[in-house]
Amino acid sequence: MNLVPWSLWLLIASPVCAILAVFFFVRPRKPQWSHWPILGSCALVCLAATDLTSRVYAGMVLDVPVAIWMLGGDWYLPFGFRVDGLGTAVLLMVAWVGALIQVYASGYMKHDPGFSRFVLLFHLFYLAMIGLLVSNNFVQLYLFWELVGVCSYFLIGFWYQKESARRAALQAFLANRVGDFGLMLAVLLLMAMTHGNTSFSSVFRLLPAAPTEMVTLAAFLVFWAATAKSAQFPLYFWLPDAMEGPTPVSALMHAATMVTAGIFLLVRAWPLISSIELLPQLIGWVGAATAIGAGLVACAKTDLKRVLAYSTVSHLGIMAFALGFGETAPAVFHLLTHGFFKAVLFLCVGNIAHALGKASVGVDETGGLAAKMPLTFGCFTAAALSLAGLWPFAGFYSKDSILDAAFHQGGLQAAAGVAIAFLSSFYIFRMLFLSFLGPRREQRGPGHAHEGEPVLGIPVFFLSLGAVGAGWLSGPLSRLLASGWMLRTGMSPVPDWTWNGLFASQACALAGVGAAYFLTTLRPQWDWDWRRRFPRVERLLESDFGWKPTVAAFSALVVEAAGMFSRGWDTRLWDGLVESTADWAKRGGERAASLATGQLNDYLWWMLAGTTGLLYLVLR
Amino acid sequence: MTLGWLSLAWMLPALFGAAAMMAGARARGVALWGSGLTLSLWFVLGWTYGLEGVESLSESGPVLAWGIRYALFTDGLSWSLCGLTAFLTLLSLLSSWRLRVSAAYWACFLWLEAALMGVFLARDLFLFYVFWEATLIPMFFIIGLWGSENRRHAAMKFFLFTFFGSLFLLLGLLGLVSENHRMTGGWNWDMAALTGPDGGMGLAIFLALILGFGVKVPIVPFHAWLPDAHTEAPAAGSVMLAGVMLKMGVYGILRVAIPAFPKLAWDLLPWLGLLAAVNVIYGAICAMAQSDLKRLVAYSSVSHLGFCLLGVFSRTPEGLTGGSLQLINHGLSTGALFLLVGFLYERAHRRGLADFGDLASRAPWMTLFFSIAIFSSIGLPGLNGFVGEFMSLAGMTRVFAGLAVAGVLGVALSAAYALPAYQAVFWREPGPGSVSAQVGDLDGREKAILWALTVLMFAIGLYPKPWLEMIWSAMQGLQL
Repeated sequence: MNLVPWSLWLLIASPVCAILAVFFFVRPRKPQWSHWPILGSCALVCLAATDLTSRVYAGMVLDVPVAIWMLGGDWYLPFGFRVDGLGTAVLLMVAWVGALIQVYASGYMKHDPGFSRFVLLFHLFYLAMIGLLVSNNFVQLYLFWELVGVCSYFLIGFWYQKESARRAALQAFLANRVGDFGLMLAVLLLMAMTHGNTSFSSVFRLLPAAPTEMVTLAAFLVFWAATAKSAQFPLYFWLPDAMEGPTPVSALMHAATMVTAGIFLLVRAWPLISSIELLPQLIGWVGAATAIGAGLVACAKTDLKRVLAYSTVSHLGIMAFALGFGETAPAVFHLLTHGFFKAVLFLCVGNIAHALGKASVGVDETGGLAAKMPLTFGCFTAAALSLAGLWPFAGFYSKDSILDAAFHQGGLQAAAGVAIAFLSSFYIFRMLFLSFLGPRREQRGPGHAHEGEPVLGIPVFFLSLGAVGAGWLSGPLSRLLASGWMLRTGMSPVPDWTWNGLFASQACALAGVGAAYFLTTLRPQWDWDWRRRFPRVERLLESDFGWKPTVAAFSALVVEAAGMFSRGWDTRLWDGLVESTADWAKRGGERAASLATGQLNDYLWWMLAGTTGLLYLVLR
Repeated sequence: MTLGWLSLAWMLPALFGAAAMMAGARARGVALWGSGLTLSLWFVLGWTYGLEGVESLSESGPVLAWGIRYALFTDGLSWSLCGLTAFLTLLSLLSSWRLRVSAAYWACFLWLEAALMGVFLARDLFLFYVFWEATLIPMFFIIGLWGSENRRHAAMKFFLFTFFGSLFLLLGLLGLVSENHRMTGGWNWDMAALTGPDGGMGLAIFLALILGFGVKVPIVPFHAWLPDAHTEAPAAGSVMLAGVMLKMGVYGILRVAIPAFPKLAWDLLPWLGLLAAVNVIYGAICAMAQSDLKRLVAYSSVSHLGFCLLGVFSRTPEGLTGGSLQLINHGLSTGALFLLVGFLYERAHRRGLADFGDLASRAPWMTLFFSIAIFSSIGLPGLNGFVGEFMSLAGMTRVFAGLAVAGVLGVALSAAYALPAYQAVFWREPGPGSVSAQVGDLDGREKAILWALTVLMFAIGLYPKPWLEMIWSAMQGLQL
């Protein structure tokens, strides 16, 4: 037990203690103080995460079981920790980004009547993600995976008085359960094939001896699970609707917790995934399709948070796209930089909403905010440049290494890379220009908008430092990721940028910025015009190319079918049959009663028949 | 013959039941004492003797006739089910504390507890059958006298249907004993020592036993009695019915059917497993379509008992242990759900999903406990339900992966029936005709009851080891 460093215990214990303390002591007495223990715990978690990362960077890799969770005979499941490069790289980002968002949230949600409940759930969400990152076996990962899902359910539905929030929460949880079906089954199959082993290190070692078809099935199921959590086609649809939660929830969910879990799982299970022929390619193509599709839809959205939501779907697609080339390190790198710039973007939108006194803001209600909210404008611009992948911002380094690989493949992959780079810079700058420049004729303009309190500004500022500079750390990150990597081939480092890649990616991104500038500022009415002129195109994009209605129709069909089965078969036919037996018995009884004629003669005949029968049986 | 501690465990509630019957207005106090003492007895015996110790408590009287004797025994499985019985009886009595009911109500619960204890403690099959049938009588009165509108019909249906099952059980037991007599030349009713015959006779006896126990579980399609009985029973009755009485079926399969026919149960595994898988899916689909909260929980029980059976039939260490733990788990989480629905019914006299709304703002404690119980019931890891489900499925995956797929599908479906109902009652804005306004939050007594259940849900979910060890000690003979 002395192998486990103090910081690992602190990482888990401090959120647990903070949550218990707030629930049992602070909440009943001073609910408005709920955030203080939580923020303290955030600080400790950041400290612990940093310490662990530096240890792993220095060469420590830890994979220890610490307790037994379930057991039956010689079968058992351990609780354990695995601290390696992959885990700590993501952990460090999650800890810091998550902590800053919680600082922001404690200001943003201050006046909500459910403040205490919010803070508790928010911290539990954070804890679940941290636990997921340091798990050393599949079942424990599944525990935190589900816990993340449940916290997201309660946070998306936080304002449960709103019909849309309730629907979004339910949809998110059910879509994730459809994915979890895959993970649970995959875990069960892997356990069955490896004689009850669940820890990553031993499962991957034992797999070559297992039957290939089952391993293939398990790998596909793992990917299926990842499509739900990390919002890939076909299960991505819950994420854009999850905007119904308070803005800090969206920020945490999109940047640090939840959606990153799927990509993390894929990289964690990479020894399994990469051993299956064509599966990485499939992941790549699904990623590309998701990235391009979501990018197109994002170009047409008018609600600011929805633009960002589709942008997240698109960026998760980019990460999956990278995995398609076997580029695990760039995928993780992009996961990290994305965490920073997406958090900034969401919190900036939160600031705009706060300034305008609304829960969600559409393009029509903004315009010309740059002058009134300079800090938000600055941070948003830095994050947008980073997202678009312009040099020297963080997004450039991570995205460039992915695009480089795509260009190397050539053909369709290269074309997909170009489209993704162009689309992402177009939609984010369209949003930037529409909301901060202007106002245009159709827009309401900034009104009396102004910057909020410092607690709403400072975390955003620090996060944008990450959005600007996180990319410069690709060298150390490569070294960190390589420690504890479970494949014998080693994890390839994040490739250095090349001049060709630089020119190609900058050209795409700048073309996107230029197009956005042209269509929002030089042709200020365009964004409203095309909707009037091509309503069918708008409808197509609004319905996500027809996928949203398909899902809705399918789920309605399932509910309908369940209802028909239950009412038609279970209630009417089967239960009806059972109930009718009483009737039958009664009728049968009435018939039988007619035998009781009251005539002694008849009875004697019956007795004689019975006695004969008995005699026959005995003497036979 | 001298009576020992185990006899006290079922006689104590029986005697207190008689006392409560005669105590008139003070019946509920007497009943509470009785169930409290029984639970304490269970706890103290377990504590002082330890696991091996309680196994040594078994009692065996002289042969009365045809090899029948008064014989009791216990081990990890039956001791934990006795604990569940004692615990849930106490909570049921506490939950009905405010009801204005006659002394017979309180007596019936204690007699039910006595009979259930007897079922779980009996070693002699004749005695087992006597206790098995004895559970029907108090439950019949509990449903028929103190249930809701349609109680008489439900009680009659419950009694006739389960009695029909019991006849097959009796046939099976008689067949088992007489075949054993034919083979060995001696009369023997000891459930641990009986082995069934081979061939067609063996198959017939095994199927009769499965049918007899299966009505109680209930195995689809013999579940038709369950929704009505659970829905019409008073809340405390539903708790006992779902929490303990359903477990008798699985207990019987574990104690009688599988030990007597170990090979047959293995040969029929695909078919038995299929029954269990159908249970999981069937219950979930029907639960999705219910508009009555209590009926929904009742159908979810059908689904959950399917998980127990999946584990038990797999005959692997993890499946047997997990399936049996799931018996306890289901008792706790479904018990909590039925209690909460009962508290709602006590306040508003309605149970429909459409009758409520927005309870999350009106009754935050009720919401909290309901959330935990419902997530425990749909298998959220960290709470108790997951441990049993996962172990059962892990066992089944190892021997027959195709059936485990159905089980995992059931886990996914459980969210589809539980959460819409949860949202309808606690989140949605109340519709016209809603009775949410009459629903106040839980009082101290109710909170205490639910805290007790909730703490156990977390304890078993996070640290199931002691329970699993206790149950495993009783399972070693059953695995393949």
